[in-house]
Amino acid sequence: MSPRLAASFDRADLVVGGGLLLIVAALSLLGPWLWPLDPLHGVLTATFRPPFSVAAGALHPLGTDQLGRDLFARIALGTLISLSIVAFASVISSVLGTLLGMIAGYFGGLTEIAIMRLVDIQLAIPFVLLILLIVSIIGPNPINLVLVLGFSGWAIFARVARARTLEIRELEYIESARALGLPHGKIILRHVLPNILVPQIVLLTLDLPRLIILESSVGFLGLGVQPPTPTLGNLIGEGRAYMLLADWLVLYPGLVIAFLVVGINLVGDWLVRRNALRVE
Amino acid sequence: MKALSYIASRALQAFIVLIGVSAIVFFALFLTGDPAALMMPPEASKQEIAAFREAMGFNDPIFLQYGRFLLGALHGDLGISLRFQRPAYDLVLERLPATALLATAALAWSSLLGFALGIIAATRKNGPADFAIRLVALLGQAVPVFWLGLLLIIVFALKLRLLPTGGIGTARQLILPAIALGAYYISAITRIVRASLIDALAQDYVRTARAKGLSQWRIMMRHALRNALIPVVTVQGMYFASLLGGALITEVIFAWPGLGRLAIESIQNKDFPVVQAVVLFAALVFVVANFLVDLAYAALNPRIRL
Repeated sequence: MSPRLAASFDRADLVVGGGLLLIVAALSLLGPWLWPLDPLHGVLTATFRPPFSVAAGALHPLGTDQLGRDLFARIALGTLISLSIVAFASVISSVLGTLLGMIAGYFGGLTEIAIMRLVDIQLAIPFVLLILLIVSIIGPNPINLVLVLGFSGWAIFARVARARTLEIRELEYIESARALGLPHGKIILRHVLPNILVPQIVLLTLDLPRLIILESSVGFLGLGVQPPTPTLGNLIGEGRAYMLLADWLVLYPGLVIAFLVVGINLVGDWLVRRNALRVE
Repeated sequence: MKALSYIASRALQAFIVLIGVSAIVFFALFLTGDPAALMMPPEASKQEIAAFREAMGFNDPIFLQYGRFLLGALHGDLGISLRFQRPAYDLVLERLPATALLATAALAWSSLLGFALGIIAATRKNGPADFAIRLVALLGQAVPVFWLGLLLIIVFALKLRLLPTGGIGTARQLILPAIALGAYYISAITRIVRASLIDALAQDYVRTARAKGLSQWRIMMRHALRNALIPVVTVQGMYFASLLGGALITEVIFAWPGLGRLAIESIQNKDFPVVQAVVLFAALVFVVANFLVDLAYAALNPRIRL
């Protein structure tokens, strides 16, 4: 293939991925504003209306559910709630993992062995099962979900941060910072961190789809945020009971998840190539 | 001698990981402070809870309890299911074959197809076929297994009435769950085979083989693919943990009576000894699988000397 064609394929990732994300953002942010229907209260005379039907004086572009609530409004709110949980959780796992990884790589020795064994342990447990177990013990509210999802995902960040810190700590400027007598904490935060920040942010992008699917799986199984508050997962979980009658209740929330994950993956791939990173 | 010490250090690492998992699984029960109240039905009286607490040994010092739990686990005693009043270990063993069947079926078709697609994509790098395959791989990873499962049920069971919606027993009932569970891996395997094959095809020994006039087929089979296999094997081991996570949801959707469904039902019924048993067992499978992968890795790559 010609280089020009390759370059246009390369940019296609960004355009298609960014486009998908923009569509979801527009639906969830502008949608409720342009289409002010109540996501929590429905009209009981207008249940199970198919997409594009008019009921109770309003057009329902994606139909209504078993309580006559507008599916479009529920998906818009559910997307916002799911994405907020994912965003906070990813901050916890990336910050915690990056810090522990830098500490392991910088100090080495017993500290490193201890932290890396913790990583192995974390990676050996089936995430979904552990998350379900802990949420069922401490209760399925949004804050607990953020904490559990956040603490379940730090291991991969630690692994990558450690590997890069091992390379950086041998460089001259770290040696000179040490010779100047700077405290370890300052060297790690001021001199190591800025040099691994970009790869860690790219890693965060690559990790987001995993979190989105994990959050929606937990919601689907009924252990996430509880109805009537919608999330992408519990919408599908609730719709499952009525899928013979109203398959749109299952179809559209899942499409939003697929749009989000494909969009983020495409943008992430583009970021990786752009920064010439190697991701194992 | 070197081989022995390599195996011994790997085995020790695996053991430490298992101890760590057992600690997490055990202490998770104490997150609210009172495991007895957690396990009893909400309508239980204070006296009943107190009696249950005493019977389960929750009044003993916590590290004594953990020691007892660990010692029991080493003997295959993982506690008694509160719901079935039977050893949790027996329940796990009973449900194991169903999950193993589902996982094997899913891994088998996705590995075969993933390999084929990966080879096609790598040999036609950056062509239209490569682009199309990449798109399929991307979609496979983007679609949550529970959604794909429900779509398959809607289309093939409810609309077309070709296949059953769930259950176990006939080959027809295996088809939809195996497709749903395998879809994720097919993307992963395709991507890895493509990447490592492109890497291998760029190596000097492939150029030498070409210069010798070997056929494309022979170069692929004897030289490139053999070396491309190493990362694929490694990753297959890593996927074992997430395979059980995927199986969990697939089993719930298709009413497949395996380990995953046992775990979910036990969580919903607050039958925590069974949940602990499933998590520990899954970790054991993961650790053993990775141990075997390490050995296979060394066997496949002559540069790693045991």
